[in-house]
Amino acid sequence: MTDFQGPLTSIGIDVGTTTSHAIVSRLQIETPPGDAASPAIVDREIVHRGEVRETPLVDSQTIDVDRVAAFVDRELTAAGVSPAEIDTGAVIVTGETARRENAEPLVHRLAADTGQFVAATAGAALEAVLAGRGSGAAARAAETGGTVANVDVGGGTTNIAIFDGSQTCDDGMGFDDVTVAETRCLDVGGRLVTVDDDGHVESVSPPARTIADALDLPVAVGSALDADVRDRLMSAMVDAIVDSCSGPPFDALTRSLSIGTLPDDQPALSGVVFSGGVGRLVRTPPKDPFEYGDLGGGLAAAIADHETVRSWSVFEPAEDIRATVVGAGTETTTLSGRTISLDESVLPLRNVPVAAVSGPVSDTEETFKQRFDAATAAILSHHDPGEVDAIALSIDDVGDLTYDRIRVIADALESALAPIPPTLPVVVVTRQNCAKVLGQTLRRTTDRSLLVLDELAVDGGDYLDVGEPTAGGESVPAVVKTLAFGE
Amino acid sequence: MTPDSNANATDPTDDRTDAETLRRVADRTPTRLDVGRAGPRPPTDALLEFREDHGLARDAVFSRVDDSLVDDLDLVTLRTRVADADQYLARPDLGRELAEESITRLHEECSETPGVQIVVSDGLSSTAVETSVPELLPVLKDGLAERDIDVGTPVFVEFGRVDVMDVIGEELAADCCVILIGERPGLRTAESLSAYFVYGPERGGPTAEKSVVSNIHDSGLPPVEAGAELVDLLANVLEQEASGIDLREDDREFETES
Repeated sequence: MTDFQGPLTSIGIDVGTTTSHAIVSRLQIETPPGDAASPAIVDREIVHRGEVRETPLVDSQTIDVDRVAAFVDRELTAAGVSPAEIDTGAVIVTGETARRENAEPLVHRLAADTGQFVAATAGAALEAVLAGRGSGAAARAAETGGTVANVDVGGGTTNIAIFDGSQTCDDGMGFDDVTVAETRCLDVGGRLVTVDDDGHVESVSPPARTIADALDLPVAVGSALDADVRDRLMSAMVDAIVDSCSGPPFDALTRSLSIGTLPDDQPALSGVVFSGGVGRLVRTPPKDPFEYGDLGGGLAAAIADHETVRSWSVFEPAEDIRATVVGAGTETTTLSGRTISLDESVLPLRNVPVAAVSGPVSDTEETFKQRFDAATAAILSHHDPGEVDAIALSIDDVGDLTYDRIRVIADALESALAPIPPTLPVVVVTRQNCAKVLGQTLRRTTDRSLLVLDELAVDGGDYLDVGEPTAGGESVPAVVKTLAFGE
Repeated sequence: MTPDSNANATDPTDDRTDAETLRRVADRTPTRLDVGRAGPRPPTDALLEFREDHGLARDAVFSRVDDSLVDDLDLVTLRTRVADADQYLARPDLGRELAEESITRLHEECSETPGVQIVVSDGLSSTAVETSVPELLPVLKDGLAERDIDVGTPVFVEFGRVDVMDVIGEELAADCCVILIGERPGLRTAESLSAYFVYGPERGGPTAEKSVVSNIHDSGLPPVEAGAELVDLLANVLEQEASGIDLREDDREFETES
């Protein structure tokens, strides 16, 4: 017998460099039959697809928070739902918007005001993954077993996520999701240069300045943008995008435009999907390259014309300009394993910083303890316990699921948790199905407020939001995310 | 990009001659898909694998749980009215009754009126008992002790069927009885264990009033996790004073089509 339960109503909000959007979706949860199975989101239906709106700015450095909040309200009204009816979802600030001075308070305010359990998120790598899940690139990789890159080209940044479907199978622990092989992000987008109706340059953002200087191109605010200069600028941008997808090796300009570290290995791509405001135009570039008052149209045309791109298998995106917001609205919430150990009174928890306990499971008990101690020390050095809801330790690999092993881990945890203030809740996350036995064993030695969640993959440096129990109280919704502003 | 640059971007699952895709589909499931054939029979490798799995399943049914394991787990050994493995398969009714001397032994060696009486039985897979019970049982006992629930004297029943717990529970006047019993082995795993439990055990009690946690093995519900889950479930049974379908009264909204 399959346990059905009502769908969760989820919101996605994306505040991007050029445009912002919101969508409302319903996530259907099912618990498959059998005691070993955990609940999962089995269907995602978008019930309201908001308008694409220009991101309101007060000035070049400040987002107009009130106007963003007002448009979200209008979208909720149009969707016919109130914030109280929104169960979950995510707000993400993307592209150059994530670097604006008030980006951080903006996402936290929207997350707090628009639903019961809506996560605040930011970070180029997360954005790349959400766009690739929203565009259908991840599903394409899973279906074909290939390696598919999603190239989300927006106004300020290009976010590439590479999905590897070759290992997509049920390994008995419920992780049958496609894996994200890597992400590659760079400061290239359609809105790096804006032009007015007469073809004069209105603004040049720092990455565009980097490119112009590297190529010794005359690009100045107020003067006309020469067609040859424009073409060379766009061609350099496309080269950087293609280079970033195909490298290493990477061109010096690609390196200087990249966000975060660059990978060491070349991907063997079996397909590519373009999404984002500019990516949407790759298939049908506008006749007038300045139709949008920036480089977007021309950039799309230049991508479509690029020799390397023409050699790729390019798949149609399921979502284009809304890929990221659809990813945020439908793909951020996951469910923990069914057997969990909970102190429900502390839920929901938001923005919980995560430290990973990783390393060889064959370690001796002593080195094992040291790794737990190091994880807590790391988290306390980065976060003031007085300013977070909780802290989380993620255990990569528990090892063999024996009672002896669980007791060793509980001991190591107990001593590692000693420096953490006793009133601060602690979340312990494991990938293997062992939360209940670990929780029960820990409970014997500690009184602190404790949540043990299993069947979740969380890395150090991530943040975790945990909602109130769902699926008959046996599982909790969780959002694994990053909060990287100003990358 | 030309309009036909997508010509080779079709869905590979549409192509039924694509060996690579077929291999991936077959690899996603442990079932015997795409093993091929040699004339009218499966190829030798697949046939040997099948016979090996079948041998493991038969062994699980016909082997006995090692006496030293029963001693290590500190279990009192009881027998049903079954004489041997063949009779066990032929006469399920005898596997539900305790032998006369075992009833005597039960009263001599086990404490009466426990909160939860724990029974371990080979059932149809001794292999399941040998692999899972050593991990599960200590978690279960520690967890119940933690909640001040008296587990009495756990027993082992040779050639037992699920309902033998009714007899043991009734004889000892236990509030609740749980039996950890080896499941009928399949060709995928011979190690699957189930835990059935009942509130107020009595001879002839209906199956509907029993609850079950099934699929306990390393690639299903891990035995240690099953032990911890049973602690919560048994504590709930004692609190609600009910088990099986009686626990789910509020969920039973049957809809009839008009």
